[in-house]
Amino acid sequence: MAKPKIALYWAAGCGGCDVAVLDINEKILDVAALADIVFWPIALDFKYHHLEAMADNSIDLCLFNGAIRSSEHEKIAKIFRAKSKTMVAFGACACYGGIPALANLTSRADIFERVYREAPSNDNGNGTFPQTVTKVSEGELELPELFDIVLTLAQTVPVEYFIPGCPPPVDIILKVVNAFATGQLPPAGSVIASDKTLCDECERVKEQKKITRIWRPHQIIADPEKCLLEQGIICCGPATRGGCGLRCIKANMPCRGCFGPPPGVIDQGAKMVSAIASIYQGSGEAEIVEMVNGVVDPAGTFYRFGLADSMLKRKRLSQTQRRA
Amino acid sequence: MALLKKMLAQFGIESERVRLDWVSASEGDHFAAIVNEMTEQVKKLGPFSRNGGGKNG
Repeated sequence: MAKPKIALYWAAGCGGCDVAVLDINEKILDVAALADIVFWPIALDFKYHHLEAMADNSIDLCLFNGAIRSSEHEKIAKIFRAKSKTMVAFGACACYGGIPALANLTSRADIFERVYREAPSNDNGNGTFPQTVTKVSEGELELPELFDIVLTLAQTVPVEYFIPGCPPPVDIILKVVNAFATGQLPPAGSVIASDKTLCDECERVKEQKKITRIWRPHQIIADPEKCLLEQGIICCGPATRGGCGLRCIKANMPCRGCFGPPPGVIDQGAKMVSAIASIYQGSGEAEIVEMVNGVVDPAGTFYRFGLADSMLKRKRLSQTQRRA
Repeated sequence: MALLKKMLAQFGIESERVRLDWVSASEGDHFAAIVNEMTEQVKKLGPFSRNGGGKNG
């Protein structure tokens, strides 16, 4: 029997997911022995035309990381969907939008203005902005178009599995590889992580959830044994799926929510606001104002990884178009 | 509530669209007044559309 074919791709991501795959260390050799890696931009020199030349459904497993925010991402996602039997949203960005989706709190016009005109390191007196097509003497040059919204992979093409995390932890990657190798993948649509919240899995001492003020992580040295939320540090554990191995918590840092919402929760940020509201014990207008001031960027804190997948998805703009 | 309003502002949602109030079961007039006020307020703002009716939805 021919070896199964695996492909890996990155769209709007940082490369951390690809590094996480490499973090399985010598097990990568097992993967290589088990399957043919037919596409992996970070490690192997394949081109898009190689991908386009493959037969439909000829890739057995595609691990797709990164969010979708340009015409190139969308095009490649659609090609991978056609070529792959099993499509996996790999990592927080592909699953929920991730950090790139925080761009949904602004607009493409504002991003271009900031990046190509306002940024102090720019000298762009001519107001040159990227164009999808530029005519030069040698012919036409093309650039992908940046969308006015950052999307998840599943908002772009159908997806079989979701592996959350920023990046996904090694044990989950190995679990998926083993399940794939032995034909024991869970039912389609599964999120491959825990079905509990991070709080359920956290071993810190939880006494009474009552807080009177919010501390940002740099303002306080947290007690390493006690619940971080009870210490007034915003920890997204109540609104986040577990299964991550408590990597941040064990480093005495609060959960930032990269595993997305737990089962049954459709909006991670709203759930987190409600969790904070239910433990906040301050009274009087002045105290409440102080607490709210302590949450400097609520949308960015509660939807740090989940904005594209949230109910609102993005900031409302007065007039906008996804494609120019 | 204050935190929610601050967050909704980041999403471009007017704070007048959200209100939390307490009314006792015996305060029918007060309840009606609040509902009327809220209705008027939201009517003034016009229909809610994500992205001002843009395509992003």
